[in-house]
Amino acid sequence: MAIHREEKIWAAFILGMTVVFLAALAYAAWGLGFTTPYTVQHVPVKNATEFLKPGVDCVNPNVKKVENNVVVCEDGRYYVNIIAMRFTWLPSNIVLTDPKEVKFRITSLDVIHGFEIAGTNVNVMVFPGYIAEITWEVPPNMPAGKYLIVCNEYCGVGHQNMYTVLEIVK
Amino acid sequence: MATTPKFQWEDRFAKVSILFSFIMLALGSLFGLVQALSRMPGALEALGLNQVITPQLYYTGLTLHGVANAILFTAFFIMGLAVFVITRDLGINLHKPLLCLACLLGIGGTLVAAVPILLGQATVLYTFYPPLDANALFYLGLAVVLIATWVFAAVVLHGIYRWRKLNPGKEVPLGVWGVFTTIMIWLFATPPLAYEVLFLLLPMSLAGAPVDVLEARLFFWFFGHPLVYFWLLPAVTLWYVLLPRVLGVEIFSKTMAKVAFILYMVFSTPVGLHHQFVDPGIEPVFKYVQAALTYLVAVPSFLTAFNLLATLERAGRARGGRGLFGWITALPWFKDPVFTGLAISIIVFGTGGFSGVVNASFQVNYVVHNTLWIVGHFHTTVGTGAALSFLTASLLLIPLLFGRQILSIRAVKVAFALWFVGIMIFSVGGYISGLAGEPRRTYAPPYLNGVQLTGVEFLNLMRSADTVAMSGALVFWIGGAILLSTLFFSTLFGKRVAFSGEVKLSPEPGPASRLDDLKLWIILGIVIILLAYTPPAIQVFSQGLSPAPPQPPMG
Repeated sequence: MAIHREEKIWAAFILGMTVVFLAALAYAAWGLGFTTPYTVQHVPVKNATEFLKPGVDCVNPNVKKVENNVVVCEDGRYYVNIIAMRFTWLPSNIVLTDPKEVKFRITSLDVIHGFEIAGTNVNVMVFPGYIAEITWEVPPNMPAGKYLIVCNEYCGVGHQNMYTVLEIVK
Repeated sequence: MATTPKFQWEDRFAKVSILFSFIMLALGSLFGLVQALSRMPGALEALGLNQVITPQLYYTGLTLHGVANAILFTAFFIMGLAVFVITRDLGINLHKPLLCLACLLGIGGTLVAAVPILLGQATVLYTFYPPLDANALFYLGLAVVLIATWVFAAVVLHGIYRWRKLNPGKEVPLGVWGVFTTIMIWLFATPPLAYEVLFLLLPMSLAGAPVDVLEARLFFWFFGHPLVYFWLLPAVTLWYVLLPRVLGVEIFSKTMAKVAFILYMVFSTPVGLHHQFVDPGIEPVFKYVQAALTYLVAVPSFLTAFNLLATLERAGRARGGRGLFGWITALPWFKDPVFTGLAISIIVFGTGGFSGVVNASFQVNYVVHNTLWIVGHFHTTVGTGAALSFLTASLLLIPLLFGRQILSIRAVKVAFALWFVGIMIFSVGGYISGLAGEPRRTYAPPYLNGVQLTGVEFLNLMRSADTVAMSGALVFWIGGAILLSTLFFSTLFGKRVAFSGEVKLSPEPGPASRLDDLKLWIILGIVIILLAYTPPAIQVFSQGLSPAPPQPPMG
C-alpha cells in the first residue's frame, strides 16, 4: 500500500483547491445572497391562472405608473408573473423600464418548461403544480435592448416555437 | 470462435453483448446526424430537407439518440467488457443460466421499448420527464432492461465472491476493482429509477394517474448522475489496465488507482441534485451539500490524471525521452492505435472535466443550465471519454474475443483524427453558443432559421458559435461512422486469428490490503447516500405533492 510522496502533495493540493472553490460558492450564496431558487408554493394545475395572473406589476404599488399600456415602476422593482403553456409564454410581450430588481413568478399549465433569458443568468425550471420564483438583480450596465426568452426544457413537438422577446427600456 | 474453451459461454455472452452494443450505437448515432443538420443555422433549408427532417422526426430521433447511445450502447458494451475482464483476471466461470437470462431479458426489453419509440409514441427523450406521457410499452421495456442489469450484476458479484472464497488473502485485481465499483454504482443508483418507472410512470401511462414532477425528478436524478459514473468507470478501468499493458510498463501507483475507484464508488451517487440546482421546491442548502459532494467526486479524476500521466512519463522515458517534455514525444503517437485512441479519450475527457466543474458550481449553473454548453460537455465525457475508450478497447477485444483481425488500421487512425478534431470544435462551439443562451434539445430554433428578430442581443454570437459547433459535430460524426463500421465489419469479415496461451489484463495481484475490504466501502457508500438524500426527500414529501395530469408530447 505504498503511496508516492508526489501523490500525497497532489492529493493535498486537489483537496485544498476543492475547499477554496466550495468556500467561494458558499460565500456567493450566503454572503452575497446569490443562491439557487427554492420557494415553494403549490398551485392546482387546472386553474393555476387564478392563482398567478400573468402580467407585470410593481413591488411597491405607490410608484406604479401606466404609460401606453406598459407598467412602469419608478424604483425599478418589478414583479413579473408568467404562465408557461405549450408552446407560448404569457404574457408574450414583456417590457421593463429601467429595471433594477425583477421577481419572476412562473408556473406551467401542462408539462415541465424551462424559463431562460438568453445571455443572462435568469434560468429556472417551470413545473406544473409549483410556482417557481427567482429574483433577477439586473446588472447596472446592462444595455437597453431586446433579449430572447426561450423555453430550454423539451416540452413537446412544438418546443422550438416557445420563445418570445423581453424588451429593456432605459 | 472462443479463444479459450473454458469460457465458451461467457465469451458467447460477451460477443452478443458487444455486437448488440455496436448496433445500438449505429442506430442512435444515425440520428446524431439528423440533430447536427437540424441545429446548424439555415442548413435544413439550404439542403431542402425541411419536409424530411420534421420536428417529429427530430424529437423521435433525439429520444433514440439518448436511449440507444447513452443507455443501451453503454450498458451492453459494459456488460460484455465486464465478463471479459472478470473471466480473464479471475479465471473463473460465471453462473451460466443467469447470464443467459440477463442476455435474453436485456435484448427482449430493448425490443419492447424500441417499438413505441419507432412508432413515434414515446417521443419523451431519454429523461422521460412526466407529465410527458409515452406508450406504456416504453416504460415496460425499460423496466425489463433494468431487471436484466440486476440479474447481470448478481452474476458478477457472485463470481467475485466465489473467487474471494477461493483466494483468501489475495488482493482484488485492478481490472476487477473497476468492474466491481461500476456494478456497485449501478446497484446504488437504479432502485429509485425502478420505483419511478413502475409506480409513477406506468400508472400514469396506463391509467392516467397524475404525477408530481418534483418527486419524479428527484428519483430520476438520483439515478441520472451515477449513470454518468457507470459510463466513466469502465473507461477509467481501461485506461488503468490497458495503457500500461500496451506501453509495456507498470502502472505508477496501483494503490492510488484503487483509492480512486473507492472514491468514485462512494461519492458518485449522492450528487443528483446538481441536475436540479434551478428546480423550485428544494432548499438551497441541500443542493449545496450535493454540489460539495460533486466536487469530491472530481478528486478521483484528478488522482487518475496524475497516476496516468506519471505512467505515461515512465513509458516515455523508457523509450528514451529526455528532459521536461521529451517523454511526451517519445510516446507511440499514431504508431500504436490502442495507445492513440485511449490518449485521445483521456485528453478530451480532461477538457470535459473542466466544463463539468462549471456545471457543478451551484449558482454558476444558472448560466449554463439546459443550454448547448451541456451538450458540448457530455459529448466530451460520455461521448468521447467513455465511447471512444470502448471502441478503442474493441481493437483488442475483436482479435481476442471474436478471433478476427481489424480490417484496416489506417481507417481507424483516420477516424481517430476526425473524431478528435471534430469533438474539440463541437464542444468549444457548444460552450460559446450555450453561454449566449442557445437551448439544448430544440429543433431548428426559428430565431436561427429564417425568423427575423432584429436587434436581439446575443443572437449573432449564438448563430456563429452554433455554426462552428455543428460543423465540428459533422466531422466528429464522420470519424465515428468510419470507426464504428470498421470495427463492426471486422467482427464479421476480419481475417481469422488464433491465439494460444492466456490473456492477462491486470497486473498480478499481490496480498490483500485494508483497501480490499469491499464490504466496508459498500456500507460507507450507502451511509453517504442516506445522509445526502434524506433531507431533500423529507422536504419534498413533507411539503406535500402537487401532481399534474399526463400530457401527450404531440401538444
